[in-house]
Amino acid sequence: MKLYSLSVLYKGATKANLLKAAYDLSSFSFFQRSSVQEFMTFTSALIAERTSVGTRASVKEQEYLCHVYVRNDNLSAVVISDSEYPQRVCFTLLDKVLEEFSRGVDSIDWPSGNPDTISYKGLDIHLSKYQNPREADAMTKVQAELDETKIILHNTMESLLERGEKLDDLVSKSEHLGNQSKAFYKTARKQNSCCEIM
Amino acid sequence: MAESKEEVEVLVQRVVKDISIAFKRHPNIEEIGLIQCPEARYNRSPIVLVENKLGVESWCVKFLLPYVHNKLLLYRQRKHWLDREALVDITCTLLLLNPDFTTAWNVRRWVLQHILRQFSAVAHKTQQQPDAERTQVLGSHLDQLIHQEMKVCSDAACRYPSNYNAWSHRIWVLQHMAKGNIKVFRDELTSVHPWVSMHVSDHSGFHYRQFLLKELLNTELSQSLSSDSASTIFCPPQHQSNTVHSTCPQANGELSLGNAACGDRITTVFKLFHQETELCSDLIQSFPGHETLWSHRRHVYYLWHHWRQDQDLCSDGKENELKPTGINEPSGSQGKSVDRHKHVSVPMEVDRVSLPDHDSKRLRRGILLPNLLTLQNEHTFVNSILNSCCNAEQNNYAVAYKKWLDTVISAQSLDI
Repeated sequence: MKLYSLSVLYKGATKANLLKAAYDLSSFSFFQRSSVQEFMTFTSALIAERTSVGTRASVKEQEYLCHVYVRNDNLSAVVISDSEYPQRVCFTLLDKVLEEFSRGVDSIDWPSGNPDTISYKGLDIHLSKYQNPREADAMTKVQAELDETKIILHNTMESLLERGEKLDDLVSKSEHLGNQSKAFYKTARKQNSCCEIM
Repeated sequence: MAESKEEVEVLVQRVVKDISIAFKRHPNIEEIGLIQCPEARYNRSPIVLVENKLGVESWCVKFLLPYVHNKLLLYRQRKHWLDREALVDITCTLLLLNPDFTTAWNVRRWVLQHILRQFSAVAHKTQQQPDAERTQVLGSHLDQLIHQEMKVCSDAACRYPSNYNAWSHRIWVLQHMAKGNIKVFRDELTSVHPWVSMHVSDHSGFHYRQFLLKELLNTELSQSLSSDSASTIFCPPQHQSNTVHSTCPQANGELSLGNAACGDRITTVFKLFHQETELCSDLIQSFPGHETLWSHRRHVYYLWHHWRQDQDLCSDGKENELKPTGINEPSGSQGKSVDRHKHVSVPMEVDRVSLPDHDSKRLRRGILLPNLLTLQNEHTFVNSILNSCCNAEQNNYAVAYKKWLDTVISAQSLDI
């Protein structure tokens, strides 16, 4: 039961702008961590871009689940978890983070900010605390508040894309991914697997 | 990039040597990983060491793995000799590239069996010439080994979900090195409790708990039949796990529980099941929609159900005090199951059934426990889940469990 990344973004007219992010990559092999982090950033931004304002969604990709909330003021948060982590708690976390962020960071800084200029420090603590969902939050409280039927479910990343758009193209054009990550993606796609050697 | 056979051989031997040197120079290496790198660059070694983490560039794997695998096979077939150092280097490289190799776990077991044989030899000597200190040293060494293996299995289990090999090895270790050792089994139950709570769809973890329960049951059973034994001599573990009449004292020198009251033993078993059921209920309610948890519940209840039936049948001649475990109505809110559980010596309060008079003496002795493991309570639990949950999968699992209770458990109760 794990959370891997937590990010806050601003959903602009054409793309999502990463404001701040925290990662827990301890379960990944040391040499893969930088690539994994880049992919999580890429994924979080893509999901925020393709989710309508004022909605919540969960996107499944292999054994990962990406949960997103895009608020009416375009401030968005994305958390990436494994498939065991309870969905409800993820959305509680997203609400909490957005509330705290908007109190601490002036909205004038949202459209153009980036992780270096934004001074919000709460993400790492929240990510760490929520690794244990039961300790972090009284789940019974959450049951009442969230209406699960309003969360859009996507079974793959592909379902977020426009007709004719290919994930491969988005990967190769992405500014979030370094060359090594792009190469890694190409190899993985060819082998039809992500991290297997043979 | 066609490389000749000789070039490949030279390259591979260099890499194997690099790996061996890396381990010798840096005994603190704590992690090994693959570096995605499709082509060799600048004639550099593919072995990279950063902050106590060893990396292997991926381009060399397609040469390296077949080579070392082949070499090891030839060695095993006695077609090619490898001296000890070469053997260590080759197996080290092989495991580095493919830690999933079942053979690696087999080798571990082979080594442990070797150690156990040595222990046996010493223990045999100790039986003939009792030596308290030697027994204690042996015992503590064994405990250390067990503890070490548990750690290895635990680390491996974290790396892959439902890691069959790791959990099977864990079970093997306990079966061969901790037979009859109640303390170890109980400690293990406690130790994996937080782990399974954070890995609620890891079937192997829960299967391990089922194994621990069964072992504790068997041990309790066997001790109820064995004569009292105050022997503290270390007894080499048996390989037969099904002997009910084992009189083997625990490996750590603890006194056998053979002199405990029958009632206490049944209370212990009951508490075990109660705790396991509580854990299961707690996780099912906190994490809706995980089939593993419901499957675990089935296993636990089934075990409990059969253990209870066995107790009722082996009643020490007091059959007139026992009734069959109840005729259960089909499921539904109107069905009232009329379970009457009466153990030979420990009465249990049953829902809506008052205690018969001959149990009042035992009541006064204070060994009364509420029996929460009735079929009725299982139905109550399932109904509470169905009424409160909005997760479709959870709903399905709950309905399936209810059906199982009705078809499997009720049917078996009727057979008595």
